[in-house]
Amino acid sequence: MSGMEGVDPVTLLPELVLALAAVGALLLGSWTPRRRQGRVRLCVVAALLVALAAAVAAAATGTGAASGGHTVDTITHAVRVVVLAGVLATVLLAADAFADHPRESEFHVLLLLAALGTMVLAGASDLLVLAVAYLLASIPLYALVGFAKDGTGTEAALKFYLLGALSGILLLTGTTLLLGAGGTTGYEGLAAALPGAPRALVAAGVIAVLAGLLFKAGGVPVHFWVPDVAEGAPAPVAAFVTTVPKIGALAALYRLGDQVLAGAALDWVLLAALLSAASMTLGNLGALLQTDARRLLGYSTVSQVGYLLMAVAAAGGQSAQPGLLFYLGAYLAANLGAFAVVCALRTRTLEDHAGLFRDRPWLALSLVVCLLGLVGTPPTAVFVGKLALFTAALDAGLGWLMVLAAVNTVASLFYYLRWILPLFRAPGEPPEAGDRPGAPDRWSTGVAVTAAAASLGLGIAAGPVLDLL
Amino acid sequence: MTASLWALVGLPAAAGAVLLVAGRRADPVAAPCAVATAGLTLVAAAVAAVSRPSTSAPMLAGIGAGAAVDGLSAVAVLTVATVAAAVVLFASAEMGSDQARGRFFGLMLLFTAAMLATVTATGLFTLLAAWEVMGALSYALIGYWWGETSRVRSATLAFVTTRTGDLGLYLAAGAALAGGSGALRLSELAALDGGWRDAAVAGVVLAALGKSAQLPFSFWLSHAMAGPTPVSALLHSATMVAAGGYLLLRIEPALAATAWAGPALVWVGAATALLLGAVAFHQTDLKQLLAASTCSQLGFVVLAAGAGSVGGGMLQFTAHAAAKSLLFLCAGTWLAARGTQELGGLRGAARGSPPAGAAFAVGALAVAGLPPLPLWTAKDEVLAAALHLGPLPYAAGLAASAVSAAYAARALAAVWAPPPAGEGGAPRRGSEHRSPPSEVLPPVALAAATVGLGVLVLPAAARWWRALLGASAEPGPAGWETAVSGLLAAVVLIITWRACARGRGEAVPGRRWAGGWLGLEAAANTLVARPVTALARALAALDDRVVAGGARAAAHATTSFSAGLADLDDRVLARGVRSCASGGRRAADLARDRGEAWADGAVRAVASGARILAGWALRPQTGLLHQYYVQAVVALVVLAAVVVLMR
Repeated sequence: MSGMEGVDPVTLLPELVLALAAVGALLLGSWTPRRRQGRVRLCVVAALLVALAAAVAAAATGTGAASGGHTVDTITHAVRVVVLAGVLATVLLAADAFADHPRESEFHVLLLLAALGTMVLAGASDLLVLAVAYLLASIPLYALVGFAKDGTGTEAALKFYLLGALSGILLLTGTTLLLGAGGTTGYEGLAAALPGAPRALVAAGVIAVLAGLLFKAGGVPVHFWVPDVAEGAPAPVAAFVTTVPKIGALAALYRLGDQVLAGAALDWVLLAALLSAASMTLGNLGALLQTDARRLLGYSTVSQVGYLLMAVAAAGGQSAQPGLLFYLGAYLAANLGAFAVVCALRTRTLEDHAGLFRDRPWLALSLVVCLLGLVGTPPTAVFVGKLALFTAALDAGLGWLMVLAAVNTVASLFYYLRWILPLFRAPGEPPEAGDRPGAPDRWSTGVAVTAAAASLGLGIAAGPVLDLL
Repeated sequence: MTASLWALVGLPAAAGAVLLVAGRRADPVAAPCAVATAGLTLVAAAVAAVSRPSTSAPMLAGIGAGAAVDGLSAVAVLTVATVAAAVVLFASAEMGSDQARGRFFGLMLLFTAAMLATVTATGLFTLLAAWEVMGALSYALIGYWWGETSRVRSATLAFVTTRTGDLGLYLAAGAALAGGSGALRLSELAALDGGWRDAAVAGVVLAALGKSAQLPFSFWLSHAMAGPTPVSALLHSATMVAAGGYLLLRIEPALAATAWAGPALVWVGAATALLLGAVAFHQTDLKQLLAASTCSQLGFVVLAAGAGSVGGGMLQFTAHAAAKSLLFLCAGTWLAARGTQELGGLRGAARGSPPAGAAFAVGALAVAGLPPLPLWTAKDEVLAAALHLGPLPYAAGLAASAVSAAYAARALAAVWAPPPAGEGGAPRRGSEHRSPPSEVLPPVALAAATVGLGVLVLPAAARWWRALLGASAEPGPAGWETAVSGLLAAVVLIITWRACARGRGEAVPGRRWAGGWLGLEAAANTLVARPVTALARALAALDDRVVAGGARAAAHATTSFSAGLADLDDRVLARGVRSCASGGRRAADLARDRGEAWADGAVRAVASGARILAGWALRPQTGLLHQYYVQAVVALVVLAAVVVLMR
């Protein structure tokens, strides 16, 4: 490992802004009366905009750097922009749910730290940095999931934490094993050393590291926390936890596969393909019969991870990396949009949405766009992402995986439609309609409409965006 | 100056779209906005007519959306913009505040934009797009009073009939592509390979005849009169119906390149001019009379296109647009004042409002082909070209122009007759009904324009006109021809007027047949609508069987998917999931067995199989943490074993 003296702080500007914003928000929150913590939110939004601007500027100028176990390249640039957009949306969603909450500033601090961890996760090119980023991205989220201090939230937080502890230990174990096998934890060194290392040792190490990253991504077989957290955590937190961390985790998985394991003595492609197939199928089957909107979304994210893992299986292929990064952005817009509708309406079951189109046409249309986006209907962005990943899988000789993904996509239409169709129905009985509180939350509505528009816009402008990636 | 071209189409389109979107909220401001927009559009049209811009936007690969203003379209653009401005100004007075003005003026402006795009289109792509928009908007405008079922039915009938003809444009576009005109330019149609050229020309001719309400499509124009009068004044005089004739003039080189198109159009045009003229004569409703006369007058444009007289055809297009729209506007005024369109009820209407009466007289005399009004010149130009093809087309054309004079005289005699002494023709709003200036000005201005176009009778002006249209080589009429037709028109006019004034107009034979628009609608019903409906029923029955077959195939595919799924689960997941796989396979077997027997049951079985599978998929989610741990670790160990053993 080289020292940090060679690092140009400018290349890490977005990360630095986030870290400083987290510390600043903590201090500001401590000196602000409990009833007037809205100003913290303003500062956080400002900091996020600055970080976003810095990230876009860095991406536009093409600044690249690789030092100290952290790489700044196209993947890092794209993940930064997507993650920051996701955090911004979450902060706005929380503006409804946590306004005037006595611990609002803590919420923001934890959110910023988790986002920081996610961004570092995507840029890590050293297993130790990866482990640190994993911890930074995980620990704040345990607290966030239980933030409401209610029964379901606490249960979800405990499950989340214990599974996280298991996979964290596995990640560190894997790092140790690979260090033993390759003599280093840096990706470059490992890529050179692993082809000659004992196969069983490498396989065990890789699987252990994978366990940690799959936990962050919410993929099979460490996906058990996803539905519980999606259902139990406060709605904005559920939106964040099921969406943003997996962006960093999948980028890290892709980097690991592309830069380290492509030449190693194990069938990485098969491994990733199996995980992908298992995630998409199990997630879809799980979502099929759900009646709780958030639980359904939780299972649907598991299946989305399956599609995204196709890119990891096809790592190195021509359309794999642009497809993955585009899909991540598209998925963020669609998933956050769907969660935003749930946040805005404070609904629980699918039936609660009956007749929404008549009462709140914009919200209903946003939901339709986002859900059809999650299926991958043209002209939404996920369609383009899916197409790119299907192409990548086919190029990598994974025809069976592509067919499975296509079949899964068709099957997924079923449960999304189960949610969409009631929107256009008159509400069954008056008490059902009465379950929905009168006016939807303002900020969440805005986020939902914006996310739907972004999903469509990205899909229509897919050509130029893909060229950038 | 391509900006003028963009403004020409973009301005009314944008303003119309805004008005439409704003809906009833825009009602108070809709009329002034529309008048201003129509005025600006007229300015843009004038600039474009002088500067002759041309532009093209990339649309499909190799096919641009092109628009240009040349001599032909300069005339058309000016005509359309002028009539549109006059009609919109008139409508601002006519459409009361109780009407949905936002929708009305929005539709009118959008329609104007579509028509301007149609006449400036250089390629089939732009033409098709604008043509379709025009058709859809005409439906919305004719059915403007949608609360009355009969009007909506009329709108549908008009739309479906023109739509049938429109299919020809698709045929033409397909033939042009197949025949080697990749860019779909109208100017390239003449150079297509043999058979494809015939197909393309046939398609365009079909579309043009449908849109211009020529035989055998004429009956839709009768139904189109269900719309508000300003709609008729714009759509059914100067724009939509005239678009077909204009299109034929535009592709005249391609028509000339085929041996059959020219003669066919000459005969269709002459027959329409003659027969629909007779129909017009026998109408008792003023708007119906004007509608039939529109068909008849446009027959001359079609005849001109067939005979290769672009100069004459275009003059007929322009002069008829001005004259006919002013006639419709006057009819609208009287309809509002008297509450009737029946010729009997309109006795003396012209005497009640002298400006409108004078304008009506100018329009009717022009339609009659009286010298020196421009339609006289136009018909002579067209007839001169027809004479080159032989005496028979000439004679038919001459007879048609005599019929024009007859029905014009009938309308004139009705509105200028002394009002009856009784209360039969009593004005509805009281005899003191004062028209606002915006209602009087447009007909008068259009009448002035009609008279002004008479200048083209002068040889020097006629030469300039032909040069403008690039038709310098066309033969002009000989002196005796103009004298014959002028004299004929005058004589027929006077005789008919006197006869009608004495109440003998109804005695002319053929009343039953021509009064009912030649039975065209019944014929279309029997020959086209019923067979097509029957065919559709037969196809629907067939479709049911095919769909059932498709469902059966889908059932097969789904069962094999389930089997594959079960297989995969078996390999990947631990014991709990393995039993799930066998459950899935059992479900799949069940589904397969029944799927072969009977499709419906199979689909249901697959659904229930998927449900069972989904139930199994939820099994691992026990909610017990230690079981999560065990499952995760077992799965990871199995995965590691697979990876180690697989290679």
